[in-house]
Amino acid sequence: MHQSEMNGQDALRCAVFAGLAFLAMVPVWAQQPSTKNGDWPAYTGDIHGSRYSPLDQINASNFNQLEVAWRFKTDALGPRPEYKLEGTPLMVKGVIYVTAGTRRSVIALDAKTGELMWVYSLREGNRAAIAPRQLSGRGVSYWSDGKGDDRVIFVTTGYRLIALNAHTGQPIPGFGKNGMIDLKEGMVTGTGQQIDLETGEAGLHSTPLIVKDTVIVGSSFKEGMTVVTHNNTKGLVRAFDARSGKLLWTFNTIPRPGEFGGETWENGSWATNGNTGVWTQLTVDEELGLVYLPVESPTSDFYGGDRPGDNLFGESLVCVDLKTGKRKWHFQIVHHPIWDYDLSSAPILADINVGGKAIKAVALPSKEAFLYVFNRVTGEPVWPIEERPVPQSDVPGEKTAPTQPFPTKPPAYARNYLKIPDDLIDFTPELRAQAKDAAARYKTGPMFLPPVVGNPDGYLGALNLGNASGGTNWPGAGYDPETHIVYAQAHQSALFPISLRTPPSGFSDIRYVMGRNDTEFRVSEGPGFGSAADAPQRKPTPAPAATAAQPATGPLIVQGLSIVKPPYAVISAISLDRGEIQWQVPYGETPDAVRNHPALKGRDIPNTGQPGSVGLVVTKTLVILGDSQNTTTPSHPRGAMLRAYDKATGKEVGAVYMPAPQSGSPMTYMVDGKQYIVVAVSGGAYSGEYIAYSLPSQN
Amino acid sequence: MKNAIALLIVAAFVSAQTSRSVWDGVYTPGQARQGAALYANECASCHGTALTGGESAPPLTGGEFFSNWDGLTLGDLFERIRTTMPADHPGKLTREQDADVLAFVLSVNRFPEGKIELDHRTEVLKQIRLEATKPDGTQK
Repeated sequence: MHQSEMNGQDALRCAVFAGLAFLAMVPVWAQQPSTKNGDWPAYTGDIHGSRYSPLDQINASNFNQLEVAWRFKTDALGPRPEYKLEGTPLMVKGVIYVTAGTRRSVIALDAKTGELMWVYSLREGNRAAIAPRQLSGRGVSYWSDGKGDDRVIFVTTGYRLIALNAHTGQPIPGFGKNGMIDLKEGMVTGTGQQIDLETGEAGLHSTPLIVKDTVIVGSSFKEGMTVVTHNNTKGLVRAFDARSGKLLWTFNTIPRPGEFGGETWENGSWATNGNTGVWTQLTVDEELGLVYLPVESPTSDFYGGDRPGDNLFGESLVCVDLKTGKRKWHFQIVHHPIWDYDLSSAPILADINVGGKAIKAVALPSKEAFLYVFNRVTGEPVWPIEERPVPQSDVPGEKTAPTQPFPTKPPAYARNYLKIPDDLIDFTPELRAQAKDAAARYKTGPMFLPPVVGNPDGYLGALNLGNASGGTNWPGAGYDPETHIVYAQAHQSALFPISLRTPPSGFSDIRYVMGRNDTEFRVSEGPGFGSAADAPQRKPTPAPAATAAQPATGPLIVQGLSIVKPPYAVISAISLDRGEIQWQVPYGETPDAVRNHPALKGRDIPNTGQPGSVGLVVTKTLVILGDSQNTTTPSHPRGAMLRAYDKATGKEVGAVYMPAPQSGSPMTYMVDGKQYIVVAVSGGAYSGEYIAYSLPSQN
Repeated sequence: MKNAIALLIVAAFVSAQTSRSVWDGVYTPGQARQGAALYANECASCHGTALTGGESAPPLTGGEFFSNWDGLTLGDLFERIRTTMPADHPGKLTREQDADVLAFVLSVNRFPEGKIELDHRTEVLKQIRLEATKPDGTQK
């Protein structure tokens, strides 16, 4: 039939038929919700780590007009409020899904009003109370068969993978056992000893990666600074079938004998060491069938004497096959890790163009403030990454790697070691002199300065910067797939002096833990540890005998100010086509403690930015992220600001008031023609709250 | 008119209630010493022996600390301590012990000592403002 011979109805029927036929040809997973449709269906917006949405209703011209559309206080989701709310919600088809509260409940909210639609929580008792990753976690993941079977999938505090019906919040009976999988099953220590399902150490607070019908889940452990054994639980990554929960594959991040990389654990030390979990977000190229795993440190964070060798895949970016979990390539970011340079951020998938050549790349933001960029098919660095000699350890039993990798491009996007005296505070000559004196108590030097056994007659520690909590941390960075630019916030004043000591008798089988032999031994617990809903409530204990008061100021603070020169943190735009920093601005605004400091009265101090690590969202024209600190200024009452920066220039183009600092990364979505931005705030006296902003309704 | 007078009386009352600040000597040295011992056992592992914080907990001195608490009351800080600390056993300490720890934190931050112990009742502590800046302009 000629087109000209069709009547209108025929044409419509034909078009509908053609449309249905096209839909039938498109794989179901390709019809999934997308940021292109206004959804935010994964923790990072998509499964490529981009944190990008093309929405543009909220822009530079109207950002200042944003109003609170709705707010959801999370206090009742557990026996006590949470002050460390870190979730980023999903928004799919008009519904918000996210975790919240000290019991890590999952909630579904009406995306237009914030009305609670359902809530799910699991009472895990002591299993959650002793879990290595507590509180509400980072959020949930979403799966749909495209035919109405829609699921919300998350990991509980006690390390169970649960699939919920997205419409009702009820566990899916056909997934695992009654909707859940015990992720501790299969976790081992030593040469393969199953950990105890109740007390064994394993957990996770990142969100599962869901691609097509596969759910991929990492693993994490307690803080690694004062470990009770080097033979901790071994990290792994596992894939499960999204429909049944059946285990599809396991990738061991510590290779077993005969597996690739086994020789990097000298003296058979693979058998007596653990950790190397994957605690941050994973990403995947669904077309290439490649998954990218950012692996953390082996046991322990600062002493590797019990694991001579490079220790693959500790602190490595590992690419595995989506179907089999087999290693395709890897790059070790830090050899023989002893600085806690965990790979902290979701790898970002980027289709870039370098010198006229199209490259499918993966870019890894880092605590080191380097953006490591690779061809994501082959693992070849896009720009050379050089092995350079680094300082060597003098700690007995430790054997540091002779060289470490240094990217040649892009340049470091934040300070990643303390240069003396250039990086010391210089508001006044007096402050500079005091900062020099304070720093002189520590060993200083270039990146990869090895830990020392600190003592008051020598060095108090090795002064590193960015390793434990600086650079780009767990919130990760963002990426604009249209302009090929990465936007990264980085904390560049996070000094971390590393000192080792021998543990008290009977505490550990490891030779050194963090601390100083001349001070009382303290166990370092992880963030939020012991704060889970079922943490034991002990009876009051009598006060111990009084001891002397502590020093009035910290050793790395002078007159209430950090010894490090501002900006304390920066936001950078990094072109992946050119390997260059396009712009860089201070993050946030000058803290009250600096602006109101009597020693600085009358001085014109440029914006110092604020310390802290936060996440961002990238839209068509803006980069949006909130302050990490409260401030009180002439332009706003006590509180923090959610700020918008022009993507092209870094210029701040708007700011809206938040009652407390941003504690979880923002996201954006559109429902019924209205764009919203949601951000988690908490801290200090302010308990966790999700706040949604939108533009005022037009009459 | 009656309502206006009543409002004025309430406003004056509220003002009087919050007229004290941490600069007015609101804890005793003995209380701070008791608090030091409690702090060492219950708080230092996360917040650091010098209160400078760590990877797992914020500092209790310096700019970041005051960014959270400047402008609020001791009652706000006391309630945060009482209901969520120590993180591994919230509610472990008595109200009196919580007040001792708070006195110690004030002493480390060099707020002046006084002759009367810091109260352990939240509503009383809510009448004491936490101000980083001394009335004469001195900054913590």
